[in-house]
Order: sequence, then C-alpha cells, then structure tokens
Amino acid sequence: MTDPAVAVRGLTKLFPVPFHRQSVVAVRDLDLRVEPGEVYGLLGPNGSGKSTTLKIILGLVSPTRGRTEIFGRDSRLVESREAVGFLPENPYFYKYLTGEETLRFFGRLCGLGGAPLKNRINELLTLVGLTKARKRRLGTYSKGMLQRIGLAQALIHDPKLVVLDEPTAGVDPAGSREIRDLILDLRRRGITVLLSSHLLAQAQEICDRVGILADGVLVREGRLQELIAIENQTELVIADASPPLVDEIESLINRSNAKLIERRKSTTTLERLFLEATAKNDEARMSNDERITKQK
Amino acid sequence: MTNDRNDLTLQRFPGRRSPGEGGNASTLAKPYRAFSVGRIGAITVNTLTELTRLKVFYFLLVFALLLIGSSMFMAQLTFQQEFQILKDVSLGAMSIFTSLLAIVATARLIPQDIEDRTIYTILAKPVPRLEYLLGKIAGVLLLLAIGTLVMGAVFFLVLYAREQTLVHVTMRQMAAAPREQIDEALRAVRASAFNSDILPGIVIIYLKACLLAALTLFVSTFATTNIFTIVVMAFIYFIGHLQAIAREYWLQEHSSGWISRVFLAVVALIFPDLQAFNLVDDIVAGTAISLGLFFKTAVLGVFYTTIYTLLAAFVFYGKEL
Repeated sequence: MTDPAVAVRGLTKLFPVPFHRQSVVAVRDLDLRVEPGEVYGLLGPNGSGKSTTLKIILGLVSPTRGRTEIFGRDSRLVESREAVGFLPENPYFYKYLTGEETLRFFGRLCGLGGAPLKNRINELLTLVGLTKARKRRLGTYSKGMLQRIGLAQALIHDPKLVVLDEPTAGVDPAGSREIRDLILDLRRRGITVLLSSHLLAQAQEICDRVGILADGVLVREGRLQELIAIENQTELVIADASPPLVDEIESLINRSNAKLIERRKSTTTLERLFLEATAKNDEARMSNDERITKQK
Repeated sequence: MTNDRNDLTLQRFPGRRSPGEGGNASTLAKPYRAFSVGRIGAITVNTLTELTRLKVFYFLLVFALLLIGSSMFMAQLTFQQEFQILKDVSLGAMSIFTSLLAIVATARLIPQDIEDRTIYTILAKPVPRLEYLLGKIAGVLLLLAIGTLVMGAVFFLVLYAREQTLVHVTMRQMAAAPREQIDEALRAVRASAFNSDILPGIVIIYLKACLLAALTLFVSTFATTNIFTIVVMAFIYFIGHLQAIAREYWLQEHSSGWISRVFLAVVALIFPDLQAFNLVDDIVAGTAISLGLFFKTAVLGVFYTTIYTLLAAFVFYGKEL
C-alpha cells in the first residue's frame, strides 16, 4: 500500500493571544488524506485555517496537537520537503534578482547545479512563459508574472507534491486560466497538487476532491462530483432544438410525475465571455499593428 | 508594472510519470544531506548579492572622501601630527562604518524575508533553519570583510601617498644636509607613517563588526521590525562601550563576591565589552599591541560571534513563521 501524499491526523493549532488567557483556535481536530496524483482543494473563507494547515504540513508552523506526514515522513523533518514544491499566497521574491537568478538560487537550495540546473531553468522559463523576461529583475514583474515565477521555483526540483496557497489570488482572468491549465497539466504528469482557495468556481474546475474548512473545522470532504451532485435532478442540454420540440418535451414531463424546474437558454460563463472578448481585441490590435507595419 | 503578453502562454511539460513513481524524493535533486555547505553557500551568495544591489557600498565613497579631505586639511601640521590624526580619523571611521554596516545590514535580513514571505519559499525547500541563518550571517560577514578590505586599502593608499609626498619634501628641503641626517629624517617620516600594529588593529575592527552582526541577528530573531532591532542595538552599542567603566566602578564600590562576579558575567554576555575591541587609541599613540593582547581580543570576538549566532539559531528554531 502506497503512503498518502499528505496525511493529517488530529491536527489542532492554537495561537496564544498576548495578555489573554484564551487562545485563538486556527485549526481543530483536522483529519485529511491526499492521495498521490490527485488535485485536492482546501476551501474556506478567509481566516478559516487553510494557510495555517498548509504551513503546518510544510513544517513552517508547529502543531499544538496531532501529526502531519508527507509521503509517510513526519513533516517536521526537513527531509520530508525533498518531495515538495510550495507557492505562498502573493509571493514577493528577492526583487533585485532576475527571473533566471531566482530559479538558480532555489535550484541550488535543492542541491541542483551545473548543466541539469541550467536545462531545468530553461525548461521552466519556457513552461511559465517568461523566457523573454528571464534577464529582468523581479522588481519590474507584474503580479501575474511573479505568480508564474513562483510556480517555476516550486517546480524547480521536479517535486512529487506541489502545495499552492491561493495560486490565482490577484491574477487577471487570462493568467488565472493559465495557472489552472498548468495545474491540470501537473495532474496529467502524476504530480499531486494540494491547493487552498476561496475561488470556488476555479476549484470546481480543477479539483478531484475538496475539503471545506470553516472556523478551523473540516465541515465537508469528498469527491467533488459526489458533493455537488443533486440526486433527484437531471439536466438535458440540447442543441438546435426547435420550439415545438421543446414544447413537446415539456408537455411529456408535465404528463409524468416529474416536475420541470426551469426552462432557459444555455449561457456561457462570464469568464469565457471575458476571455473571448479580450482575445478578439488582442487579435484586432495585432492585425492592425501588422497593417501599419506593412504600410511603413 | 509590465506584462509581456507574448510571453503569457504556459507550455506543456514534456514528460509524464505515474503517481508515486521514483521514491519519496524528486527525480532531479541530489539526495538530501543533513548539512550542506552548498545550500549555505547559495544563501550566502544571495545575501551578499542582495546587500550589494542595495548599494550599501556607497559608504566606502564617503570613507574615501573623508580620508582624502582630512589629509588635505592636515597638510599644514607637522608630519607626526598629520599621520597621527590621519590614523585616528581613518581607524575611527572604519570602526564606525563597519559597526553601522553590520547592524543596519543584518537588522533587515530576517524581518524582511518574513514580511515578503520569501522565507516560506526557502524553508519549504529541504533547508534546515540553522543553514538558513548560517548563510545569512556568512553573507553579512563577507560583506563586512569586503568593506574592511576596501577601506583598509584606501587608508594605506592615502597613508602611502602622504608618506611619499613628505619624503620628497624632506629630501628637497634637506638637499644640502649630510647623508646620515637625511636618512635619519626619512626614517622618522616612515616610522610615523606605518607601524606594524595597524594591520592587527584593522583585524580587530573587523571582528568587532562580526560580533555586532551576530548580536543583531540574534535580536532580529525575536524582533518584529527592523526599527526595533536597530534601536535595541544602538542601546547595546553604547552600553557595550560604557560597561567596562561601569564594571570597574561597581567592583570598587561593592564586594567582589561570587554573586557579583556571576552578575557581571551575565551582564558581560548580554552586553559585550566593546571597549575591549578599541585598540585604535593604542595604535594612534604608537603603543605596541602585544601578540597576547591581539590573540586574546581576537578569540573574544570569535567567541562572542559564535555564541550569538548559536543563540540566534536556538530562538529561530522554535519561531512560528
């Protein structure tokens, strides 16, 4: 039997409040299990204990009670982090370093060097689309670019587990979609992803399983499709249906014991609309630029 | 803020592997070792790069200007006075600049990393906290070494230039005098310019700065802001220079029982006797620094630096990030 990628057992974390007898409970009796190769979403509102849980898993904060493991190793041990890549929420790296220098620094921390490190840096800069910005200092990077260089450093040593704390926080929809695609690509490669988010629509698109935290307590957990399915309802999405056909279906439903809850036109998502609109705008601008260049 | 849209598309990873493949470690990195000089070296180089790109070396320019300016001003004094003041100003400035640099550069290292969350990305890699701290302090000590070397070089250059000018002036003025008198005068000029105690004096100045850097690192492990660390260090700096006098006064006024001695030892550990590192006055006065005194002071500097670094590691080990 293989070890789970992450195992959390009976985890409780209390933060003492100075000059008060009572402590703040960040996490209470938490049990979690993330299987190898899955994308697990830790969801919850701000202050629900998501980041604290991730920090305990990474050995950055010590638990008051309970135990956390990464691939069967106690996560308080430094060597448990050999297999982990981490991207914190809104990361600020050393802004005086260039993108390439940043990856070299983190690579050396993981024991990489020479040609393998150089090749890995090239591979990751291509992966996150920062090849042209490799020589620029991070102080000049946009938020989306910082997030992507953050992802690259998390992947520098080809970890088996990637922990992402609010990976799309503050990133525009296009950047957010790219990060989501990258997470799906990590899953295709067999890399386990544990992410925290309060952006539910995104989590719904990428997570295999989710756990919902509220006030430090795990209130729901399971496979996403099972959690959100409504057992007694069925959706039919029909293309090119004539109005008489739809009327006929509706009357068929009315004649049976079933009940039609809603009849409406299918809609796209606001995100898809935004991406299409901005992509068309970009195309128009680029063809205009090309025309101007040819005229010159 | 800039964003290169042409660069935005994320590429696919070339390969694929099955979950759980390749043991517990990553497939690229070398197996984990409990202590790695390579990891410490990476943090050291990074810290040095950070401090260098923050343009902290501008103080060297101020130092050079101070020296050149003061040597021009002193041209009207006798050569003995001139060299005495030049050494006094130079070694004093070196001591103040290196101390200031040690405190200011070290105070920002850990709080800044915590504020920027950079520390999370570093410690989430297989990097023990002790190695992180050793890398940071080594970066500062390297910076101080470069600063001291450059200041020392500028000091020797100015001293040599003034000595050469005075040698030429003396030879011109005594052109008609007998050879023995000229040689005697030149020996006097050279003896006033260089004495063998300058080099050990500079080494002690460097060790004092190392001690202050390690103490600042220790304070910064429990401080929440840079300002707090700098204010605490300013206090310690002044108390450290005054404590020798206070100790003498205390021992004169009170009995020298074991309780007093333990108390004074604890005070000496918290507030190091910085006056013990002040050999500038002896060098300027031309008093020879004995080898014994040099080694004793050097060992004291290394001892304090080690103790404070270990104390910093102890506090940092249990720190919640």
